Amino acid sequence: MNLSHFWILIASLFLGQLLLLLILAWRKQQSNKREAAINSQYDALTDSFSSYMMDPSDERFIEELKASPYQLVVLERLLNHYVSVTKAGADSPAVSRLSEEFLSTRYMKMLKRGNWAMRMNTLYFIEDFRMESLVPQLKEKLAKSSRLDQETQQLIRTLASLNETVAIEALAKHPDAPARLYIDVFKRLDELTKLDELNAALNEENDNQTLKHSAISYIGMAGMTLFLPRIEEELQHPEMEMRIQALKAILHLQYMNSPSALAPFFQSAAWPERMFAAQIAGKLQLSRYKETLGELLGDPVWWVRYSSAEALTQFSEGDIVLTHFAESHPDRYARDMANQWKTSLLGSEQ
Amino acid sequence: MQEVALILSYIVIAYMLFSSLSYLGLFALAYGKVKKENKLDKRESTEDFLRNQSTYPVSILVPAYNEEVGVVSTVRSLLALEYPEKEVIVIDDGSKDSTSLRMIEEFKMKKIPFAVRTHIETAEVEAIYQSSIFPYIRLIKKANGGKADALNAGVNLSSFPYFCAIDGDSILENDGLLKCMKPIIESDGQIIVTGGSVRIANGSTISRSKVEIVGLPKSPIVLMQIVEYFRAFLIGRLALSHLNILLIVSGAFGVFNKERVIQAGGYNKNTVGEDMELVVRLHRLLREEKSKQRIEYIPDPVCWTEAPESLEVLRSQRIRWQRGLLETLWNHRKMMLNPKYGSIGLFSMPYFLFVELLGAVFEFIGYFIIFGGFFFSLVDPQVAGVMFLVTVFYGSLISALAVLLEELTLHKYPKVSHLMRLYFWALTEAFWYRPLMVLWRVRGIIATFQKKAHWGDMKRKGIST
Repeated sequence: MNLSHFWILIASLFLGQLLLLLILAWRKQQSNKREAAINSQYDALTDSFSSYMMDPSDERFIEELKASPYQLVVLERLLNHYVSVTKAGADSPAVSRLSEEFLSTRYMKMLKRGNWAMRMNTLYFIEDFRMESLVPQLKEKLAKSSRLDQETQQLIRTLASLNETVAIEALAKHPDAPARLYIDVFKRLDELTKLDELNAALNEENDNQTLKHSAISYIGMAGMTLFLPRIEEELQHPEMEMRIQALKAILHLQYMNSPSALAPFFQSAAWPERMFAAQIAGKLQLSRYKETLGELLGDPVWWVRYSSAEALTQFSEGDIVLTHFAESHPDRYARDMANQWKTSLLGSEQ
Repeated sequence: MQEVALILSYIVIAYMLFSSLSYLGLFALAYGKVKKENKLDKRESTEDFLRNQSTYPVSILVPAYNEEVGVVSTVRSLLALEYPEKEVIVIDDGSKDSTSLRMIEEFKMKKIPFAVRTHIETAEVEAIYQSSIFPYIRLIKKANGGKADALNAGVNLSSFPYFCAIDGDSILENDGLLKCMKPIIESDGQIIVTGGSVRIANGSTISRSKVEIVGLPKSPIVLMQIVEYFRAFLIGRLALSHLNILLIVSGAFGVFNKERVIQAGGYNKNTVGEDMELVVRLHRLLREEKSKQRIEYIPDPVCWTEAPESLEVLRSQRIRWQRGLLETLWNHRKMMLNPKYGSIGLFSMPYFLFVELLGAVFEFIGYFIIFGGFFFSLVDPQVAGVMFLVTVFYGSLISALAVLLEELTLHKYPKVSHLMRLYFWALTEAFWYRPLMVLWRVRGIIATFQKKAHWGDMKRKGIST
């Protein structure tokens, strides 16, 4: 290979890049123009869209939208903005109506033919706009998917948002499905279906432990005190993970029918159980455990000491108790922790 | 003499062709992933995590040394971050300016006692302050011990299972943390470190600690650094991350699993490249445990940082980076070409040694041969000519390609004129910027054997307006 070959190589690379540059510059210019046109139509349609959402008999928006060359993109953005600002996806018949009328055909095609990102976006929008007409296509797609990849996970969430319990059945086919996904599904189901599914999940006959953990966890997060007796029963469960989930749920629910059930957990060999018990005692202001919390201030595990001190701050005379422990607790670390908490009541964003 | 020069020149030519092609090969690997996610609606894909209680809380650590100009705007940008639960810990590592004072005044901080768990030994912590307006903002005032020591002190004080380390002169986009935590949450903790893209803020309009308009600076030195970042992040890191052999997460911004970092022994105080060293040590830990956990680079979450505008500051930064790289490779030389460490030992370490570290040495020899060939007949001018062309290919053309690839995938710069300017300057790289870099990187290798570790000194103008 001599110099001229190198010249040819470099020159062709340069020319190739130059061509690519020109194409990209032209593409950028076109996309900037298109974006500007979409933005201007979006602005122009905002007023009539707002009027339509307040009074669907005002047909001005529909006429203007039909005349717009970018109607689908503009409508998608208007609806998306409306849903995210008002959080009204599930409750707005106008959103469903508009999306079903203008976007369903496009989304049907997208689900089959779009690239991965477009399919994902379509699933997000179907969920946001609650497009029920697309349920058969979504179910068909779910039946075909064998891996619990990102797309299948979103598909399951979208179906759950349309109140399809097939979402839970699909998850159950994947033994490694994370609790997070089950919780996402519970969150999206409507109230009645949710109650049925949570009941079923708590049922002892059910063999799916992740489902049960998730159900307990969700009940706590959602503050569903209706299930409190069932959750309290789980405190006796032989499996530690189940007991921990129940303790966590009680902490969130901020109520207990029988606070005495908490007593054994303060002596548990597992530190997470001691930690949650301390947190619950503080959150529920269970004065009977104040002395126990003082003892736990000297626990060998930092998190237990931390949670016990934090729990003591929840009591009305917490600062006095902590000052007392800061000065006279036999354990040096307990004194440090009490000292920290008496002056610093909160350490993180709540 | 001429024979030696001729052999050397063939070696250099072969090396530079190999390096250039390896860059192209790496990009080909990464292209699919970037292109695939390019059109994904990022807002939609993360909004669920914003309201989700399973989103892990994060401690944000901001090590600061003489950062009085930028530290408040950095913390303000962190306050604006969309994230369900976070705490912000600024670590003033014995600054000689008013870094602490600015924080104390701005956020109405008061001194508090704190029962710190000493997971990692650090220089003496003098005081801990907490904001009375935002109780989740804290300040550690400690004796000077270097950036690694400051981060270790932050790790000790942090309450949450994940921490994000961010430089005191950087601004993170509102949803940057959420996007960085998303893969960690989705993988149920199987990903233990994520690093996002770092962009240069000089030239962009930043107000109220937010990047309002993305723009380009006038200074060619900064423009060239922008191009350089494209190449480093788009070509290098994406592909290495794809293969789970990424050895660098930018010191300016990264999210880490705290337990793993503590297990690995925290940041190493004896190197100036503590960010890379920690990632290599974590890889080492994972490989020794035969763990399937991963370290991942995410092209999208953008952290904006201030790039040096003067040659003097740029020089000291590059010398420091090169030292950090050499120190890390030396400290972990046991992993080099060692099959026990899988692709890290067999591919990644040699890649960083031969391409990232020794590349400067090969190029340095190349420049000598080009000059020697053209002016002193050291080698045949024909060979010197080939070497010149290879240098142009290695520098300018690859950089110009990186600009085009950025436009093809992420297109963060909005105007056609941005694209043109970046492309033009990228083409000039081999004629002025690259020789400077080569010189400084070789200087960095020499400096490794001379100096002690210290913070990078940089005169800040501040990036927020």
